[in-house]
Amino acid sequence: MAYQMQVLIENFGYLLIGAVETLKITSIAVLMGLFIGTFVGMGRLAKSRVLSYPSSVYVEFLRGTPLLVQIFLIYYGLPSLGLNLKAFPAAVIALGINSGAYVAEIVRAGIQSVAKGQYEAARSLGMTHSQAMRYVILPQAFRNILPALGNEFIALLKDSSLVSVIGITELMKSGQIVISRTFASFSIYGGVALIYFGMTFTLSRIVRYAEKRMAIS
Amino acid sequence: MSEILKIENLHKYYGDLHVLKGINLHLDKGEVLVVIGPSGSGKSTMLRCINHLEEYQKGRIIFEGKVIDPNSSDINRVRTKIGMVFQHFYLFPHLKVIDNLILAPTKVLNMEKEEAVEKAKKLLDRVGLLDKIEAYPSNLSGGQQQRVAIARALMMDPDIMLFDEPTSALDPELVYEVLAVMKDLAKSGMTMIVVTHEMGFAKEVADRVIFMDDGNIVAEAPPDEFFSHPKNDRMREFLNRILNI
Repeated sequence: MAYQMQVLIENFGYLLIGAVETLKITSIAVLMGLFIGTFVGMGRLAKSRVLSYPSSVYVEFLRGTPLLVQIFLIYYGLPSLGLNLKAFPAAVIALGINSGAYVAEIVRAGIQSVAKGQYEAARSLGMTHSQAMRYVILPQAFRNILPALGNEFIALLKDSSLVSVIGITELMKSGQIVISRTFASFSIYGGVALIYFGMTFTLSRIVRYAEKRMAIS
Repeated sequence: MSEILKIENLHKYYGDLHVLKGINLHLDKGEVLVVIGPSGSGKSTMLRCINHLEEYQKGRIIFEGKVIDPNSSDINRVRTKIGMVFQHFYLFPHLKVIDNLILAPTKVLNMEKEEAVEKAKKLLDRVGLLDKIEAYPSNLSGGQQQRVAIARALMMDPDIMLFDEPTSALDPELVYEVLAVMKDLAKSGMTMIVVTHEMGFAKEVADRVIFMDDGNIVAEAPPDEFFSHPKNDRMREFLNRILNI
């Protein structure tokens, strides 16, 4: 046990470097997921089938297939179509488009949670559909869905451990590397779990804080 | 007087339900028209068809000499000229009072922010709420929210104001302050269509009252005549019921 602890202490810095990589991947994927999710979420509610149908297909497909398969498909599958992606962009893209599907559903629910009268009031003042969405509906929708988005980001941070399989040295992979050298599985995986927990716990506090700040007095 | 609005043979269906059965109506500039009638008679639906918040299946609406074409992007310009006040106010809850007022003028009319703020202050003063300029809607009473909603609509310099049961969601003691603002507006020469159950307001302010029942306009008269000599049986029954509660 003393050996296990010693290995953990000696390699903690190395694990933290991996954690930084995890944060990098996750934050870019979160932004991507938000961007995709906002438009796909609006698309699902569009009257025009040209918009709503592809949005539904996107959501159903990405929600209905394993993330691990999606990661492999992008990293190992796309090169056979002539599209070679390095591991980092492949990882971020896989996580981002996957998260986009979940965010889309959250955004859709958020838009539906805003009273229809808000949209009508905006339109009655001469706003276009886009202006009404941008200035009136989405700000209220995002406030309503902040807790759900928080959950999604936490899930995404944890899911980012899957990209260790395509050789990205994020937190999970860093742990595996240390273990392959030291065989201290218990302390290192324990340490990895604690670092993940530290990140998700902080994230959930941040979301809670944002929720409080955005609540209207 | 010159005509500002004309509705010709307006029909509206919700599925199989025929809610407007051929409405004909005209309105002159500066006129105040009060619309009364039992619930489900189509009053609000008619009002909402005018700025095309509701689609209709047959008929034409002519505003300022032009047929309103719901499918043209011109509908947004037309809507800036038609102010609307809702039963449930629908202030934007995430924005302060001042931002509720300046949002549409700055985004839709491209008004400079300073100019919009100046104008908003004048209008808030007019509805007696200048001290609430930095408040959020949730900190206002229903009557105050409705007055802000009226000011918000006036920011666009509308040529006509539509009121959809503006006092129905208010506590009785707050009705007065909203009606006072509406009376002031009527006196200033604003063209108004008001769907309401406030008979006192109708008697005092209306130039003309129409009574709707079952998707039709069944009576139309100046208020004196309207309330003292109701011609139609259905209307007499309705007036008896709401005036002798």
